[in-house]
Amino acid sequence: MEMLFATAIGALTFTGVYLMLRLRSFPMILGLTFLSYAVNLFLFAAGRLTPDAAPIVGTTDAPADPLPQALVLTAIVISFGMTAVIVMMSLGARLEGGDDRVDGQDAP
Amino acid sequence: MSPALIAALPFLGALLPALAARAGRNAAALAAGAVSLAAFLGLMSHAPAVLSGTAVTARLDWVPALGLSASFRLDGLAFLFAGLILGIGLLIILYARFYLSEKEPLGRFLTSLLMFQGAMTGIVLSDNILMLLIFWELTSLTSFLLIGWSQDRPESRQGARMALAVTGGGGLALIAGMLILGQIAGSNDISVIVTRAAEIQASPLCLPALILILIGAFTKSAQFPFHFWLPHAMAAPTPVSAYLHSATMVKAGLYLMARLWPAFSGTPEWTVIVTATGLATILIAAKIAFFQTDLKALLAYSTVSHLGLITFLLGLGTPAAATAAMLHILAHASFKAALFMLAGIVDHAAHTRDLRRLGGLARAMPLTFALAAIASLSMAGIPPLNGFLSKEAMLTEAALSGPLVAAVATLAALFSVAYSLRFLAHAFLGQPRAQLDHPRDPGPGLWAAPAVLVAIVLASGLAPMATFGPLVDAAASATTGTAIHAHLTLWHGLQAPALYLSLAAFGAGLMTLGAWPRLAALWAATPRPDAKALFDIALAGLTATARRLTRALQGGGLPRALAIATATLLAAGTWAFLSAPHAPGTRALLPLQAAPAAVWAVLMAATLATAALHRDRLLALLLTGITGLLLAAAFAWTSAPDLALTQVAVEVVAILLMLLALNFLPRRTPAESAPPRRLRDLALAAAAALGTGSLAYALMTRDAAFAPISSFHWAQSKPGAGGTNAVNTIIVDFRGFDTYGEIIVLGIAALILFALAESLLSSRTATARLAALDTGPNSGDPHPTMTAVALRFLLPVALTVALYLFLRGHNLPGGGFVAGLVTAIALLLQYLASGYVRSDARRRFDSHAFIAAGVLIATATGAAALGFGLPFLTSGYTYVHLPGLEQFELATAALFDLGVFFCVLGAVLLSIATISRLAQQTREREPG
Amino acid sequence: MTGDWIIAPILLPATLAGLALLLARTRPALARVLSLAGTTALLALALWALTTTTAPLAYRLGDWPAPFGIVLVLDRLSALMLTLTAALALPVLIHAIANGRDRQGAHFHALWLFQLMGLNGAFLTADAFNLFVFFEILLIASYGLMTHGGGAQRLRAGIAYIAVNLVGSTLFLFALATVYSVMGTLNLADLAVKMADLPEGDRALMRLAAVLLLLVFAIKGALVPLHIWLPGTYAQAPAVVAALFAVMTKVGAYAAIRFGTLVFPPDLPATGTILSDLLLPAALLTLAAGAFGALAARSLPQAASFAAIVSMGTAFTAIAGFTPQGLAAALYYIAHSTFAGALLFLISDLAATRPAGSRLPGALAALFLTAAIATVGLPPLSGFLGKLFVLQATAPQAALIWPALLGASFLMLLGLSRLGSDLFWKPQGPPAAPLTAAEVAAPLTLIAALVALTVFAGPAHDHMARIAADLSDPAPYIAANALEGTP
Repeated sequence: MEMLFATAIGALTFTGVYLMLRLRSFPMILGLTFLSYAVNLFLFAAGRLTPDAAPIVGTTDAPADPLPQALVLTAIVISFGMTAVIVMMSLGARLEGGDDRVDGQDAP
Repeated sequence: MSPALIAALPFLGALLPALAARAGRNAAALAAGAVSLAAFLGLMSHAPAVLSGTAVTARLDWVPALGLSASFRLDGLAFLFAGLILGIGLLIILYARFYLSEKEPLGRFLTSLLMFQGAMTGIVLSDNILMLLIFWELTSLTSFLLIGWSQDRPESRQGARMALAVTGGGGLALIAGMLILGQIAGSNDISVIVTRAAEIQASPLCLPALILILIGAFTKSAQFPFHFWLPHAMAAPTPVSAYLHSATMVKAGLYLMARLWPAFSGTPEWTVIVTATGLATILIAAKIAFFQTDLKALLAYSTVSHLGLITFLLGLGTPAAATAAMLHILAHASFKAALFMLAGIVDHAAHTRDLRRLGGLARAMPLTFALAAIASLSMAGIPPLNGFLSKEAMLTEAALSGPLVAAVATLAALFSVAYSLRFLAHAFLGQPRAQLDHPRDPGPGLWAAPAVLVAIVLASGLAPMATFGPLVDAAASATTGTAIHAHLTLWHGLQAPALYLSLAAFGAGLMTLGAWPRLAALWAATPRPDAKALFDIALAGLTATARRLTRALQGGGLPRALAIATATLLAAGTWAFLSAPHAPGTRALLPLQAAPAAVWAVLMAATLATAALHRDRLLALLLTGITGLLLAAAFAWTSAPDLALTQVAVEVVAILLMLLALNFLPRRTPAESAPPRRLRDLALAAAAALGTGSLAYALMTRDAAFAPISSFHWAQSKPGAGGTNAVNTIIVDFRGFDTYGEIIVLGIAALILFALAESLLSSRTATARLAALDTGPNSGDPHPTMTAVALRFLLPVALTVALYLFLRGHNLPGGGFVAGLVTAIALLLQYLASGYVRSDARRRFDSHAFIAAGVLIATATGAAALGFGLPFLTSGYTYVHLPGLEQFELATAALFDLGVFFCVLGAVLLSIATISRLAQQTREREPG
Repeated sequence: MTGDWIIAPILLPATLAGLALLLARTRPALARVLSLAGTTALLALALWALTTTTAPLAYRLGDWPAPFGIVLVLDRLSALMLTLTAALALPVLIHAIANGRDRQGAHFHALWLFQLMGLNGAFLTADAFNLFVFFEILLIASYGLMTHGGGAQRLRAGIAYIAVNLVGSTLFLFALATVYSVMGTLNLADLAVKMADLPEGDRALMRLAAVLLLLVFAIKGALVPLHIWLPGTYAQAPAVVAALFAVMTKVGAYAAIRFGTLVFPPDLPATGTILSDLLLPAALLTLAAGAFGALAARSLPQAASFAAIVSMGTAFTAIAGFTPQGLAAALYYIAHSTFAGALLFLISDLAATRPAGSRLPGALAALFLTAAIATVGLPPLSGFLGKLFVLQATAPQAALIWPALLGASFLMLLGLSRLGSDLFWKPQGPPAAPLTAAEVAAPLTLIAALVALTVFAGPAHDHMARIAADLSDPAPYIAANALEGTP
């Protein structure tokens, strides 16, 4: 199973990095979203995989590590806020500047 | 008066002339004069002591860690220079008062001049090398202002910049040199350094220190090959040229060499570099001076040449040569400052300084002519003037150094004669020029200052021992560290070789001048490097390189920045990992299972499909959403129900927001990047994927090196934090402070969205584009009534679910965050179903208040503990039974969670409202 | 519990920002009062911390013991950073208010207060993940401030700024995940203790984590080649915001210093000099890139932005060795460049509000000259002393470092003298409006700070040396955390 998680993290990173390097804001933002997927899964996996042991007292004696879960929760929320801001900003740049390029070149 | 005060006075009084200028030009000049005079008198009060060989010192510790102290030391050498600076400064102030036109702000000019004077005085009085550096760079800065005085003329600005570049740049080399010197000498005090010649010369760092220091000195004193800036600095008003570029600033380099003479002189490096530079400068500059057509340019190059002479004398390393150097410093300052002022008088009277247009001024301006004659004959080295004295001394020393040196020195003397006489002959003698507009002698205000100097030239030539004698002795003794009693006389007897060299130079010089027309034609025909052009080319080249480099780094916009960053991260990470031992993990692997493997397959497919199909934005967004939901499934499978819940909720809101935003963006991404670029990006992406994937694998397959702290959270979740859901107790209690920060991030995000919308709606460009937008099929979809009704029915259900999630969060998956999101999603769906406008109109409350309330509730809950003498966020709890619900806990943590709830709700609602406001702009134009 | 005031630099601005949102949305004057009062109070608090802090003081949030809960630690370094932040923020805020720069968009003051909260939190927290959270707060607030007022260019620059920092945040999480996965803890002191016992087989992973963290801080601190975001961001941001950002880059330097002395000190066998090995070349390249940029700059904001890069290059050059002498020099230089960098941006603000081609007032030229002197590091201002400190601290590697430092000064001298003469001497148009008292108040305050740093350079550097000494002996910092063993 570990290999599945590792390859999933790799794939998410792949799409994230590739899209992040595109010339328009929208794919770039999708890329960042994928990167945050990748890192959230990574952060979670770094606490190691423990199926059927949600860290709820009374339900198990050998729980999954709750701390990475809590950290990922915080990270998810923060990256949501960041995404909202950059989406709005790309919208603003498009409305003010006429196009959604991010590579500093003028629109053709 | 303390030497520190002497140096400080010009700075302290610098603002006086600017203030006094309101009362008129005389007041300004008097104010500046009074300041200079006070400093001068303060200096003179030490004359008896200093001339008898006693140094006056003052010391104030400033930055001991640097070895920087404000220490001042007034000895013979410092006295000579300070006397020149302050004495000639007084004359310059008088001259400038009458020289500058009524339109020019004299007060400001004198303010700059005084600051320069202070900096210069500071250089020669400092006994600490770092203090000296401070004053050194200050002279560069103040001279920048003075040279660039006529701001409207490009040559002033360029000249000022060039002077700053050369002398300021040299100053930077000097900094390095001085720091090395201080280190190898073991002290930053000059008075100590000069006693440590043996240690200094024994150090391997001696040569670098010497070279760096000499770069500083040579740039300042315009020695070859740094000589080119000085003539261009002549764009300055004449008082500045007379002061900075003949008497004072350009002598700072000489001062420094004299100051450090005991530390370095006598070493072969010193002798070779300094004398060779001096000789080269003398010759090159003298030759150029002879051919100049501008009076001030001629004087400028002659100054360079004479500075070379003094450099040469200091380089010889003998006490007699150093004595001659002191003598020539005095002589040169007196005749050259006078000549500059006289050139300025000619310029004023004839409205030109071009020697080709001047001539025959002697008759119209007899007084000016008389003064100029004495001064330029002194420069030519004609007895009985002081220039003769020092030239004889120079030739004597040259003759002692061998025939080649003597020949070069004589050649220099020859040129000196030639250009001095040319100055005199071509400006004042010959036929008066008709085109000159009735030139005549100026009033005493202008001629008084040069007259005083010319009187000194005469007096010191006729009675050298009575005038310059004590000064030269004191300065030379202080320079060399040995008691010197120079015998200054015009007549050394017939057996002195200098006499014959001098005669030869004079005769040949006259002949050279006689051959002027032919030589001038030859000069004009010879191609020669123009130093300014070279400097400009170098500077332009440097700037162009800088621009190219900067463009290369900055020009690619965000994609290039991110590509460079990714490559850097990969390279640095790989290097870090590979450069240390790594033991693979030994943790037992989980067996492969079918259901998760299926989820994995879909997730991989969706992820890679997003990359492949990203040009269709709607599709890409959809795939992104699917990926996010599959991620939630992965969380759920590996025992993270809270995460799964949150991931789903956040995913829904995020994708919906992006969906809405897509209404305002193009639907497709055009194919713009060339194949090589795509290949590069693919390679980067693949490398990054390999990196994160294998790192994740390495981590998952090993156990932590130390017991994780989360075992404490697990153990304390119930007894300590009063909840069974350890994830929730971490979020609202153990690490509640993270959550506190997290909701603030979310709140700020909403505020930014709001502020951005405000600015877009107030921008004409943005609203025009909005109005022109076709919001397309996405939102143009008519809102099916059925859905709307169904969703409206759903709202109370959703709110109940939210309440439920909120209440049970502490013990089971849920909590304020998810509850807030669910509420927000319910409202968001509502809004989608009923359309932007209505929903917006329904917004009865200000979402800002929600965010604020959330932050304040969370803060207040956390701070309540302070009232009980406990730290922020310390929780207390009790259990409560509500009918119809399971037992739940009423903890302060729940109140904190309420803050989270409000903040999340407010943030999401505000974000929606914001986009809806933009949408309204497009809607308003639609018919109906 | 005593010492509740340690958390005040975080709670006070957060509360005031909440109040500003709640009460002052329709009353802009009230928002001004709140942020002004808050910033002033922060300065008072910071000065109190600066003058009274000797041994590190810990504050346990939620009353949980370290390393299980989050702990704030106020030590001399934190106190210094708090002071720099507040001492910069107050004059810049006054400038913004006095000249109406806060009215060009919504929510300036709430964002401002949140920004200060984020900065203060980052300087106080002793927990690696909590540092991430405060990084995010200060970043997101800065996104809002940076795009205050809007406009196409600014928004485009804003996208780039956010994108680069999002990558930074992602990287931060990768690093923290690695750290937690190997070390099982997030508390800095706990990490410091455990790193000494790190099994050899885990070294490669922790070296990787150390480098990833360094790269995160390098993005904040604008180190080459992760500096590309800065010029566009600073030059396009409202000048008052760019002025406040003078302290933002310092967060990167602060974090590098904290980790480089506490968690990954150079004498630690596990990671060795890995941070120094990367920092020094990067810092020297930063000096070069910044200096060439300053020479290439065609406008004052651009030049000021590249000067900010040079200042970070200088600071990191001094930091790189993590020696007491270098750290003391770096801290003095950081204090100097915070004020000097902001000053240049405020002046560009005053120049930009006057018509292009008009003859700018002489007083503005004088202000520019002062700022340029400070920025280039010429005497007599603190920039020169700061440069001397750095030169002296790097003397053992003089042949490598000095040419870069002095060469950068030279290029900046060329660049700024050309810009200055083009801006203040060349234009022959009609004279622009003279400076008002409101316009000069903040620049003069910043100059006063620079003068104070110059005159009192001795005691100031002594204090920095004490901080550096603290940093080289982390035992008291670790002791203050009162770490408990894992059950």
